[in-house]
Amino acid sequence: MGDVKVTILPRRETREVEAADVGHLLRSLGLHQDAYIVIRDDVILTRDVRLQSGDQIEVWPVISGGS
Amino acid sequence: MRCIKCRAPANVEVRRHRSAFCAGCYPDWFRTQVQRTIDDDRMFSRDDRVLVAISGGKDSLALWHALLRLGYQADGMYIRLGIGEYSERSQAKSEAFAAKHGLRLHQVDLAADHGFTIPQMRNQREGKPCAACGTVKRYHFNKVAVDLGYSVVATGHNLDDEAATLFGNVLHWQTDFLGRQGPVLESTHSNLARKVKPLYRLAERDSAAYAIIERIDYIVEECPMAVGAKSLAYKDTLNALEETQPGLKYQFLVGFLRQGRKAVKTEDPVQIRECAKCGQPTTAEVCAYCRMVERRLKKLPSLASPLGGEGGEGQQQ
Repeated sequence: MGDVKVTILPRRETREVEAADVGHLLRSLGLHQDAYIVIRDDVILTRDVRLQSGDQIEVWPVISGGS
Repeated sequence: MRCIKCRAPANVEVRRHRSAFCAGCYPDWFRTQVQRTIDDDRMFSRDDRVLVAISGGKDSLALWHALLRLGYQADGMYIRLGIGEYSERSQAKSEAFAAKHGLRLHQVDLAADHGFTIPQMRNQREGKPCAACGTVKRYHFNKVAVDLGYSVVATGHNLDDEAATLFGNVLHWQTDFLGRQGPVLESTHSNLARKVKPLYRLAERDSAAYAIIERIDYIVEECPMAVGAKSLAYKDTLNALEETQPGLKYQFLVGFLRQGRKAVKTEDPVQIRECAKCGQPTTAEVCAYCRMVERRLKKLPSLASPLGGEGGEGQQQ
């Protein structure tokens, strides 16, 4: 398990996080899995996908709304 | 995790259904869900002309895309709300989607056509214009639909939106709103279009995944006016519960619609009449839109006579 490089949209904040898989990554970031989509190389990943050190990951929020 | 259709590596997990799909199978699953919802709730048929309320976000563009793929006659409508660069970007996404697919996108420009913008409609107490924005959108989507002969207005409200609305209405025991909440709002007046929510059984994450896989270029950022909105706090709370109880949001909403709503639904028919100022349907002498715009614009002396003979709103959720 090594650090993956994470870019969190929409502000494109970058972080380096040690995570074994996608579910672990979201928990490490304190994010709900129903509120985000994790993408690597333009491909959406399910929570069980294992991550490699040096992976470039994008985390997209899916929540919108007002009132 | 494997796709339940073809056993390829999965890309999208739908935890409440204990399912997962690869990128190749997922769009068909999504559209099948939309079709089932339209059929189950008898929303509209392929003979109907549907006006889709477009914001430039994932839900409205995914809905428009899915309806077209399913063979429905669907045009779009976008309202230029005047929320700075956010509105400019969302307008550009909406126009680009329409142009790419050769679609008709009607537009209303609040500043140019009506003399105000949404940021000017901030509630003095809460400092937010979200409620006013909702009134403005309901009014103009309805008016354009009726004026141009669309039989139904379809919005991109999803499971998370509806569950959060329900949660808020329960927390505050808004029984009037609870009684009216539902995926289909029937027309009860000749100037009131039918309103439907074909995505109400699909989660926010489902429509985002559909948009990403179908390469729909949508605006990812949140409306800057919505930062700190109560609905976002409700969604966060529900997602925290969903984390350990997949399907909770769905059970909450669909359970309410099947069982809870009748317990709070009033049987008293609401008297719909035409607004004395603009002629649009309302339950009051002057509709909520006209009252709101006049009230707020009295505080904005630089903007004169914004109504231009229009205004009004159906008292719809």
